[in-house]
Amino acid sequence: MKTLKFLFALWKANLQAAMEFRAAFITQIIFMIVNNGVYFIFWVLYFDKFGNVRGWTVNDMMLLFGIAATAWGASAYFFGNFTTLGEIIANGRLDYYLSLPKPILLHVLASKSIGSGMGDILYGVASFAISGYFTWDGFLRFFLGVTAGVCIFISFLTIIQSLSFWIGNTVALSQVALSAVLTFSLYPSALFNTTTKFILLTILPAALVGNVPAEFVRSFSWTSLLQITAGAVVFLVFAMIIFRSGLRRYESGSAIQVEV
Amino acid sequence: MKKYLAIIQMQVINNIAYPGDFLGRSISIGIFLFIFAGLWRTTFAIAGTDVINGLTVSNMLWYLMMAETIELGRPRINRVISEQVKNGEVAYILSKPYNFLLYHFSFGLGDSLMRIVMNIIVGTGVTWILAGTPPSPLGWAMAMVTMVGAWILHFCMMALIGLTAFVVEETNSFELIYQKAVFILGGMLLPLDLFPQWLQSIARVLPFPYMMYAPARLFVKPEWGLFWQMLANQWIWVAVLAGALVLAYRSSEKVLTVNGG
Repeated sequence: MKTLKFLFALWKANLQAAMEFRAAFITQIIFMIVNNGVYFIFWVLYFDKFGNVRGWTVNDMMLLFGIAATAWGASAYFFGNFTTLGEIIANGRLDYYLSLPKPILLHVLASKSIGSGMGDILYGVASFAISGYFTWDGFLRFFLGVTAGVCIFISFLTIIQSLSFWIGNTVALSQVALSAVLTFSLYPSALFNTTTKFILLTILPAALVGNVPAEFVRSFSWTSLLQITAGAVVFLVFAMIIFRSGLRRYESGSAIQVEV
Repeated sequence: MKKYLAIIQMQVINNIAYPGDFLGRSISIGIFLFIFAGLWRTTFAIAGTDVINGLTVSNMLWYLMMAETIELGRPRINRVISEQVKNGEVAYILSKPYNFLLYHFSFGLGDSLMRIVMNIIVGTGVTWILAGTPPSPLGWAMAMVTMVGAWILHFCMMALIGLTAFVVEETNSFELIYQKAVFILGGMLLPLDLFPQWLQSIARVLPFPYMMYAPARLFVKPEWGLFWQMLANQWIWVAVLAGALVLAYRSSEKVLTVNGG
């Protein structure tokens, strides 16, 4: 409960900081919505030309985009440091967080908010709403799928970037990992062979933030539910273990920094 | 001229100073090509044909390899200019004995050169495995020639976006929209040949196809008629956008305020 209160306080502070530059914040949101919409034109053109591809239609793509965009946006908006954790570790900027009696990983991740993430969230929810798959129980499944997606996005990148404790700079590695997991999550898994599908469900968990939740929203199944929840829990636990064991090796840079 | 060559050289050295990081970035093109291979093989299999609008699966994958090379190698100069304007570093650069735009042109070129070379090497390797033998030497030659104009067009657009930092706080959003316009109207994700006719007509009067579609299409289907036509249109757009950039820079200079030192 205490941790939740702390998390809400961080989010409130981030929102207040964003509101200091209200026009920039709103511009980022609007532009991200437009950006996603323009990108989606590719799928509109594609399905207009080729119709149904192994059971996938433009409506299925709207649902897939809705889930992946919302999960990505929520990760970026609520846990904005999940893409820069490696740099924070490598630059010795964990000192500030270590000196406070709060959960370190959670504190680092939620200390920053990426404003454009809100644009992704709004676009994602709207995309789901107009996909033709919207029902109220479907909305609950959508929420569950997105929550699992957030856990997996954050955990996966935390695992990759925690390698900074051992190998130093992981900027290039995390950029490749990020672009791989995000790009694969936006394509139907029906396009890939069995080996690739297995990889996308395990070491590069893109299917767990895109295709499996989309399948789950379309129709309830215990298999999909198990895959999503087990995936989220396993990745979350694994991320915490790796981060903690890395933290033991952390050496301060003794740099004077101000965290604002 | 010598000083600009030195800037290019400096950026090339900067890029290869961290080989691990440099190689890591080149892996991205392999990932994208792998996904596109899945998408287009499935599409052709379902369509039950070897050729769609004159393009085979192999043509599609080589086309996408060239398009991705251009996208991943284009200059990211807007971020540099925008940061310099916001943190005041622009005053330091303006006091140096070189032209602001040519400085960034050289800086961007040095930054792009090695990335383009690495993406071509990695992209060619991956696509060769996925799609078979590469296009003819004539295709390579036409692609290389039109890539020069494509790069300059990207530079002009990126610099124009960077200069908007003189009037607005947030410029990254403009880059995102521009990137997606190139993805769609430039024919990066889908060659223009596969567009409906009405959209093809719109795209062809805009600069975007000459930044992406022209080199990639000539790469896989080299035709002299199309080459001269594309090249002429491309350089008309270079003249238009370079002119717009010079004008935008002159008016930005007038609104520049430097406080302190």
